[in-house]
Parts: sequence; C-alpha cells; structure tokens
Amino acid sequence: MESPTGENMVALTEGMERMESRFEAAAALFERAATLLEERESSMSGEVRKIVAAVETSREAELQKKLDAAEQQIAELRAQIETQPEMHAKSARKTVPASTAQFLAKQGLSTLESVEAGALDAALNGLSLEQRIAVKAQLLRAGVVS
Amino acid sequence: MKLEAMAVTLPEVAGHPNRAPFTGVLTVVDEPSTKPPSGARGHRVILTRRAALSALPSLLGMAVDYAPSWDGHDSRRKCGIITHADVEGSRLLVAGYLFAKDFPEVERQVRQGLPGTMGMSWELADAHVEDMRAEIWTLTRATFTGAAILLREKAAYRNTSFELAAARCRSTLTRFAPAECVQAGATGRFRDGARVALPKRPLRKEQTWNHQQAKTWSR
Repeated sequence: MESPTGENMVALTEGMERMESRFEAAAALFERAATLLEERESSMSGEVRKIVAAVETSREAELQKKLDAAEQQIAELRAQIETQPEMHAKSARKTVPASTAQFLAKQGLSTLESVEAGALDAALNGLSLEQRIAVKAQLLRAGVVS
Repeated sequence: MKLEAMAVTLPEVAGHPNRAPFTGVLTVVDEPSTKPPSGARGHRVILTRRAALSALPSLLGMAVDYAPSWDGHDSRRKCGIITHADVEGSRLLVAGYLFAKDFPEVERQVRQGLPGTMGMSWELADAHVEDMRAEIWTLTRATFTGAAILLREKAAYRNTSFELAAARCRSTLTRFAPAECVQAGATGRFRDGARVALPKRPLRKEQTWNHQQAKTWSR
C-alpha cells in the first residue's frame, strides 16, 4: 500500500505530464499560427527582382505563351511516365529492330514481354559470337533484358 | 510646387563631339502606369513619390539604353548617362548626355522623329510591392538600375518624354538655359534646377559659341 505522500507524488507527476502535453499542443498550435501568418504576409507584400516600365512586346508574350505550353506538355509527359511505367516499358520495346524481332520469332521467341536467359541463349545458338553480342546489345538497349 | 533634385557634375568640355545633352520625363510618381510594365505579372504599378525620392541617388550615373526596335530595353546598348534627376510635381525628370558620336542612330531617331514620339522607361531592381494581391501594385521601395529610350507608346507610362537639346548645344547642361538651346519637353523649373546644379558659364562666351555653331550649321 502506498503512503499518502507517494500518492500525492504520483498525482503530481501525472498532472505535470498532462500539463506538459498540453503545453506541447499549444506550442504546436502557435507554430502553425506563426507559419500561417508568415505565409499570409509573404502573399500580401513581396519583393520583385526586376520590373521594366516598358510594355511587353507581342513577341515576348508569344514566346512566353509557347514556353508555358512546352512546360505544360513536359509536365504532362512526365506525369504520364510516372503513372504508367508499363507503357514506358512497352514503348521502349518498340525500339527493337524489326530484323532482330523477326529472327527471334523464327527461333520461337514471338513475345518479348519476358525473355528467359536460357531460351534466349538457345535461340541465339546458331549465330556467331559477334552476332549474339549484337543481338543481346540491341535487346539490352531496348530494355528487354537487363 | 515641390522640387527635389539631385545631380552629378561632370567637367565641362566645350564642343564635346560625343556628348549630346538630353532631358526627359522618366516616369510619373503616385500615379498608376498606363499599362502593366514588363515583370509586373500583368499588374499596373504605382511608384510612390517616397520610393522615387529614396531611389533618386541610384538613378544618377545609370545608363540610358535603347533597343533597335525602340520598343524596350537592351542593357547591352548603353547609349548615354543620367546626370540629373528631379521630382517636380508628379513628374520624375532626368537629364544627361547621349553618346551621340557612338550612337548616331539614336540621335537620328530622336531628332528626325515627330515631337513627342519618344519616351522613356525605367528599370527597377529589388522592388517592394505593398500588396501583391492588389489590382494595381504599389511600389514602396526600389532601386533604379537604368533607363531606356523608346517609343512613347511602348512605355508603360504614357506621359514620358525624351528630348535632345538643340543641335550642337552639347558642351554642358547649362546650354539648356538659353532659349535658343531649349526644346520642348523640359520645363522652366527644371531648367532652372539644372542651371543651379551646374556652374554657370559666362553668357557672352555662350552667345559666341551659339553664334559660331549657328553659322556652321547654316552652311
């Protein structure tokens, strides 16, 4: 059984812990408020590096428009690649030369989706060393084998 | 009328072949620009009088440049220098020299064009905008980094101007003072300001010079 002093100590410690957590929460809240205020301040007033009191020429405006369009296109393509990696892989496989694809098809490798090392070696068996290296290099470049 | 002026005094060189004095209205203060300036993200701007006055020292010694198409700035084509800057009423007036021998095309354009065709434009760096969300940006602090001579219609402020002093009156800015050497565009108050800012030349010497120049040009 704990003594009354011990109980008091426990209660005090618990109270202090509660207070500490509340202080922490308050500090976090203050921090968030300060960040928001800073953001608001920066949006209200700001520095502009360079202003020229000449109107933008049509050529400049046209170039700016083109640049914006190009940047948007780049961003879209990047997003497309990131969201559809399979499509990227497929498009890479298209770069295998037709003669190589034809040769591999003759050897029984009609699909290039997944080429096993053993099957590939067997298919290339009839070729000379240089030809085998060339075909493998082409497949490597195309991303069929890694 | 309140006049705030500042100047750098260059040594006088009579008949300097490469100095053609000019005056101009660079901008108007405390008034919105007619069109949005380049770099202001489509906002028209107001350069406050206070900001302009604070920035006057930065304007002196800065170059004036021009673009061959006369529609903007080209900081690699510096064809003159600003030696005087005054804020008179709402107009920020400047004066200086054009490097007329080095840039004959500029002199030709200004002299042969219709009066009031040419204007001026400032270039500001590190401008402070009071409220970026405002429809018209108020510039409360800035540093002038240069100016350009351009077609007035291409300037963001419609009420700017650029004038060269009468031909061959180019030894000093005091030549703005005699009536025969003054062209439209510089106000009397401004001419007075320029005259005060630079040491006076003897009037007789001035008249002799003008007479000689008039004779030379009449041939």
